[in-house]
Amino acid sequence: MYLRSRFFKAGCGVERCMEKFVLLIPMIPILIALILGFVKNKEFIPKVSIGLSGLIALLALYGTYFVMSRDTAIEGFGGLVIYNELSAILVPYVAILGLVIRKYAAKYLWDEAGYQRFFILLNFIFSAIYLLVMSNNLIVLALAWQLMSISLYMLVSFNVGSKTAVSNARWTLIIHKGADLVFLFAVILTYKTFGSFDLGVLSAEWLEMSHSPVENPMIFVIGLLYLIAAMMKSAIMPFHIWLPYTSEAPTPVSALMHAGVVNVGGILLNKMAYLLLLTPAVLNIAFVVGLVTAIFASLVMLVVSDIKRSLGYSTVGQMGYMIMEVGLGAFSLAIYHLMVHGIFKATLFLESGGLVRLARHESNLPKRLSYELFWEEKLKSSSSKLFNYIAFFTILPVVAFIGIKLVLGEEFFHFNASIVILAFAWLTGTQLFLSFFKVSKSESLKVILALVSSFIVILFTYEFIGLSLEHFIYGKDAVLFYEAATLNVTLAMSLAVIAVIMIVGWLFMYKQHFVDIPGERVPISHSKWLFYKLLVKEGYYFEILRLFRKEKR
Amino acid sequence: MIANLVFLVLAGGLPYYLLLERRRGMHPKYIFALSALLLLGAVVLSLELPNTHAPMMVLIAFVNAIFTLYRAAKTTNFYKLGYYLIFLNAPFFILFEEQGAIYSVSMLVSLTGIFLIGRFYEKHYGSANYHYITGVTLATPSIATLLTLYLVALALYPPLPNALFFLSHILNAEPNLLWYAVVITLFVGNFVLAMRVMTKTLFGQPNPNIHYVHLSSGETMPHVAVLIALLALSIIGFQEVIL
Repeated sequence: MYLRSRFFKAGCGVERCMEKFVLLIPMIPILIALILGFVKNKEFIPKVSIGLSGLIALLALYGTYFVMSRDTAIEGFGGLVIYNELSAILVPYVAILGLVIRKYAAKYLWDEAGYQRFFILLNFIFSAIYLLVMSNNLIVLALAWQLMSISLYMLVSFNVGSKTAVSNARWTLIIHKGADLVFLFAVILTYKTFGSFDLGVLSAEWLEMSHSPVENPMIFVIGLLYLIAAMMKSAIMPFHIWLPYTSEAPTPVSALMHAGVVNVGGILLNKMAYLLLLTPAVLNIAFVVGLVTAIFASLVMLVVSDIKRSLGYSTVGQMGYMIMEVGLGAFSLAIYHLMVHGIFKATLFLESGGLVRLARHESNLPKRLSYELFWEEKLKSSSSKLFNYIAFFTILPVVAFIGIKLVLGEEFFHFNASIVILAFAWLTGTQLFLSFFKVSKSESLKVILALVSSFIVILFTYEFIGLSLEHFIYGKDAVLFYEAATLNVTLAMSLAVIAVIMIVGWLFMYKQHFVDIPGERVPISHSKWLFYKLLVKEGYYFEILRLFRKEKR
Repeated sequence: MIANLVFLVLAGGLPYYLLLERRRGMHPKYIFALSALLLLGAVVLSLELPNTHAPMMVLIAFVNAIFTLYRAAKTTNFYKLGYYLIFLNAPFFILFEEQGAIYSVSMLVSLTGIFLIGRFYEKHYGSANYHYITGVTLATPSIATLLTLYLVALALYPPLPNALFFLSHILNAEPNLLWYAVVITLFVGNFVLAMRVMTKTLFGQPNPNIHYVHLSSGETMPHVAVLIALLALSIIGFQEVIL
């Protein structure tokens, strides 16, 4: 009776309030876990799990349709849970990802001990993620935050018989528990300062406060605590060490971790977006920390010898990029980034097993569609025409587009700090573009066109998709985030930074794609060697820890 | 003042286990049971007597908790772990007064589960020491499930009741320096002790020298009762923390 009265408004029957069932999404995985506990037949375990998880995906899609068509959020349980624009984007994404992972795990883990245990634990972590995304109350958020920590630990240490798996999972446990403690303090201080746990009420209050100067230093402390908690969960330096060392977790767990769990930091910061409006300093800190993480982790990724650790650092780098986007006020872009990265990384993990299996039967690299598209095309000598067409048909219309926009809409370059995002987006795009086509030192014009084309493609993508998400999730308030996060960089400075990045990138691409005849052996400089060693040793992280332990003895 | 001292002793604010451990014939099982009964007595008394304490009392209990944490980090005995956890959580009872009582009840229920597991180990493996009983997850999944639930409850993870009552009380309190010290110590201390047990006995490969035994139906029933109690407390905890 109590639940029913909180769930449905007075006079709201089942037929009229179908959308309220969407709010039950976080509880459905718990029910699935309980049901699975009683399923004795092994074959039924994945069927029950996938079938009922499909129901969650359908509910999520219905909820998204409702939110988009009615332009209103679905609230229930006394305002504790909400299915708003953010949920409408993320919950279907997580639900569909969950289906793919369960389908994969059904066969992958068939011969492993603890098959039933895996599916039960998987449902707990999905419940935590849904609750975290859909929570409209800081207490509910705190509960989901902590539930995710223990569920993740149980999954990461799934191979209980392996000493290294259990030992490495300990890092996950410790860092996530630290994040729980920091988050709890942030929640306590938020309540003490603002007098409410309701995120809707708090967001409105924060938005109101943003119109006048903020003088309370406690607000900065609260913002910083939320940022630190997000950094710990999202493996941002210096709290990144737990992610690369979870390679002994089952592949479906790795896929879930890199595609779903590690994104919770970005999701939390999006929920606290209006608070961060009041703390530009915290946004600036997020930008710097994200930038350092993105660069350092991406470099370490290139030098570590272990492929799984390399993927781990790749994810750390992408999370740094995501936090950097938050630091620049591009909250919705962070959501877009984490989704796209999640799909890409999950695909990578889930494909890896099949690739290894094929490689065992093939004398050369296995021929698959992605191989033919991304590699063989690169080796063909007569790709220049296609290349020219693409370069021409991307550059020309976009030049016209930018010209019109510059004339009619000056706000395109208004938020200078955002240009830094575009620079990094360009770096990403160039790598993608050049994986299609072979260019070399002798084809200077082609290289230039390739770089500019890739920049434009990414610009379009970020412009349209990023802005669409921004308008959907934040509406007019999005402008305020950019204003709060601005680094007071002038247009000239940001264009100069972009130009430097493009020139450095251009030089790098030339060196990469030109195969020279080796001449005299040039000794490596000491500074280069030290830098390389710093990367290989992953920033001497474990050496520093061992130092503390030695001192303790 | 006398009432404060009584509460301090009953709730485990003073390490009287040091005296009991030195007594011959005082098995850790009995120290566990005695400590639990005394804490229960403190909870009952707190319903009748005013349970407000001077900061000095909290400080004494806090120092005792730190010392107990140090001792508990070295033990591999379920019974000892049980009463160490009682003493570790004493500052919470003393600091949070009436609200600390329900948290203590929830903790006692979880510790009852640990006590039952300890008794199971003692009956089938010779003692309540879990040091060499590794790989329980692989060998006896049912015991592992129960032990995991009790340990997760003690480690203050939701949705189990200890975490809910803990959260409910700390959200409504007025923090000061001592408050922060107590909360952090309890939050970290409970977690460290509980997770330590998990890695030592639940994980790893089963010991080939041990004949692992599954729970009989008679042994399962008390655990079911404990789980039902935990579920009921979780529901109460949810209502407390949300409302």
